[in-house]
Amino acid sequence: MSTDTVLSAEKIVKNYPGVQALKSVDFELRRGEIHALVGQNGAGKSTLVEIIAGSVLSDSGTITLDGKVCRSLDPAMSIDLGIQTVHQENQLVEEITVAENIFLYNLPRTRYGFVNLSSCVEAADKLLAELNIDVKSSRKVSSLSFVEKKLISIAKAFSLKAKVLILDEPTASLDEHGKEVLFSLIRRYTEFGLSTIYISHHLAEIFEICSRVTIFKDGVRVSTNTIAETNMNHVVQDMIGKSSESLYVRERRSVQDADKRSILEVCDFHRQDKVNHVSFSLKEGEVYGLAGLVGAGRTELAQLIFGIDKRASGKLLLDGKDITPKNPNDSIAKGIGFLPEDRKDAGLVLIQPVYENITLVRFVKEVKNRVRSFLQLPKERKEASQVVEQLNIVTPSVYQQVINLSGGNQQKVVLGKWLFADSRIIIFDEPTVGVDIGSKSEIYKLIDELADSGKFIIMISSDNPELISICDRIGVMRFGSLVQELEGDEMTEEKIVKISLGVHDEKEQDE
Amino acid sequence: MKELKTGKKREPFKLNQSLLLLIMIIAVCLVATIVNPRFLRIGNLVNILQQISVLGIIACGVGMLLIAGQIDISVGNQVSLMGIIMALIIQYGGQIAPDAPHAWFIQWSIPIAVVVTFLMGTALGALTGFVVLKSGAHSFIVTLALGSVYRGIALLISGGGSFTLYGRFELLGRTRLFNFLPVAIIFLLIVVALTFILLKYTRYGRFLYSIGGNRKAAYVSGIKTTAVTMRAFITVGMLNALAALILISRVGTALANTADAYSLDSLAAIVVGGVAITGGKGSALSIFLGVLLIGIVGNALVVMNVNPHLRGIFIGLIIIGSVTFSGLSEQRSRI
Repeated sequence: MSTDTVLSAEKIVKNYPGVQALKSVDFELRRGEIHALVGQNGAGKSTLVEIIAGSVLSDSGTITLDGKVCRSLDPAMSIDLGIQTVHQENQLVEEITVAENIFLYNLPRTRYGFVNLSSCVEAADKLLAELNIDVKSSRKVSSLSFVEKKLISIAKAFSLKAKVLILDEPTASLDEHGKEVLFSLIRRYTEFGLSTIYISHHLAEIFEICSRVTIFKDGVRVSTNTIAETNMNHVVQDMIGKSSESLYVRERRSVQDADKRSILEVCDFHRQDKVNHVSFSLKEGEVYGLAGLVGAGRTELAQLIFGIDKRASGKLLLDGKDITPKNPNDSIAKGIGFLPEDRKDAGLVLIQPVYENITLVRFVKEVKNRVRSFLQLPKERKEASQVVEQLNIVTPSVYQQVINLSGGNQQKVVLGKWLFADSRIIIFDEPTVGVDIGSKSEIYKLIDELADSGKFIIMISSDNPELISICDRIGVMRFGSLVQELEGDEMTEEKIVKISLGVHDEKEQDE
Repeated sequence: MKELKTGKKREPFKLNQSLLLLIMIIAVCLVATIVNPRFLRIGNLVNILQQISVLGIIACGVGMLLIAGQIDISVGNQVSLMGIIMALIIQYGGQIAPDAPHAWFIQWSIPIAVVVTFLMGTALGALTGFVVLKSGAHSFIVTLALGSVYRGIALLISGGGSFTLYGRFELLGRTRLFNFLPVAIIFLLIVVALTFILLKYTRYGRFLYSIGGNRKAAYVSGIKTTAVTMRAFITVGMLNALAALILISRVGTALANTADAYSLDSLAAIVVGGVAITGGKGSALSIFLGVLLIGIVGNALVVMNVNPHLRGIFIGLIIIGSVTFSGLSEQRSRI
């Protein structure tokens, strides 16, 4: 270990049910460097950072900070050792002053044990001056702009004698000017010898401010290079890696009677700051993929289409007929289904048994169709158990509360709910997140069969190989816009990643 | 080919809260009977049912609401207010001289009082629902405030005094069918039966559970969560109206606070019955058993000649015991 190493992680392993998030990862951070971590969603960079910050416990491996070896860290220990994290979201206390926020854990007191506000402000102003931050420390945090809050968060970490600062997507929702201000602060504190772990999806930024870059893929550290000896193309190559064998090989259908098939048009969906005039179309039996980074507006788009969020504009046309839903209730009447990203949050009633979850949407539809009869429970259970069998949901009985099922089986219950309601258009939002490999390929197969039976499928996923193997076409989103549509041989991981990141090939158009 | 996973296999048997309640009810009855055999007389048992009829009707409404994840602690105040208005109308009818120009009102005061009470119940329920859904505040706080408003209005109208029916409206509260079965009990049983059917055998009932279990998932599943919740509040108001009619008919006079205690008593009964305060769980049976246990404990203490002031302590202990039980069994089922 070289003498200027401030933090090193050795052979870090972390397993989650169904996935190995980190497979014996080594990582080294030098004093006073800005070290970028990059990788696709789920590559393992967040997990590593969480382990360093003590918020996640590693299964094995050691972390050494300034020569002090730790087998496991908790958040308090990590802070004690001088590791600070500045999260994407603001974590300052809004209703007190900047000065009090900075010294929150160590407020100066008067003789009588009260907070000594004036000396607090004095010390804070001194600190801010030292860091060239132009914010009065007597201001309330709630009156600060977004970038000012970010600067104060960093100043606070600095005041706590941090040795390592973890910045998670620090430039998210900052404009160009804010970015410049932030970068000058980062450069400034780096002069004091503070080291930074910089997580970002924006490669251009990384090349602007960082000194080294480490690339993760599938829980493995692929490479670590100095910025000088690498370039964006290299980085993208490493992020994608050697194309892993696809989990599922789809039987490509020969497209027949292409003109006779119905067509679903998604026209001009727009919501301020979230989704920017997105249009695309798909034929019945097609699977249309939506790729992009987390936060690119894909989930927001799905929620606009399904009628959950208010849209500024947008029409859904089926063979030219307007079927734009007003709300989820209307969507169901029009045969649209939606598997939300977070099934526990919006997909399932966890404390209800499997059968009640499966039949719920059908009942909503029946109410819409003025079916007034009483429920026939034995029939309901029998039909639900047919769905359970058809989707191969592993559960002791349909009476089982959904909360007791595994992730994959829970997801299949959500899917079963929409199938049982006979949805014709189904939007899948991250259908395989937190799902074991076995269930994953079953879900792929189901999606495939659904498409074959003439449904319209829109699939959002951050797992690019998954999209490539399942979809007929893929639209890539970035900053709320559908930037480019890929088809056939164009659908490569490299292409998707480059478009999502905004890295252009020589001939590509500008953003 | 695997066999179908249900149809044959019944729901797994568990020591659930309903069974525990039944055991507790039997135990209380047993002890009371041993101390005083008169407890088990049919006359006393009918008495118990009559005593719990008002509580039971109110609890069915609040229980439904709780299943849908909402709470209403203004029900007692609603009943008091409706009782005042209703008694006011009937008292006025009773005071008119037979030769007065509006003597027709004497005949019509009771039907008018009944209609007005039901209209008021609907309106109060709708108002509560409207404020809860529009303000976005927790229904506990909203109904706390509204309850205070209702109590204030009742006090304003009554001026702190009381209204008397002069024995004119005894059908609901005091009349006994065949000189044996109080009409109030029939209403209670009808309400419980309807609640049972609504919760178990209608789509609307299923929507209540889903909204209480996970409002967002219910919304994404297409349930009109606002409309469904609104209807639940209105149902509560109408049941409160029925409860007010029965209560005032039985008591014969109305004060501004006649029914205020029902706000918390109904909640206590429902929670004892095993309806989750967090929503999504419970049944008409559990509501009824909770009400029954509370009624039986009260009656047994009287019959056993125990100091009646101990009732509150006993009921408190029962509530703690039953929520502890449901908390523990919840944890067990998670492991």
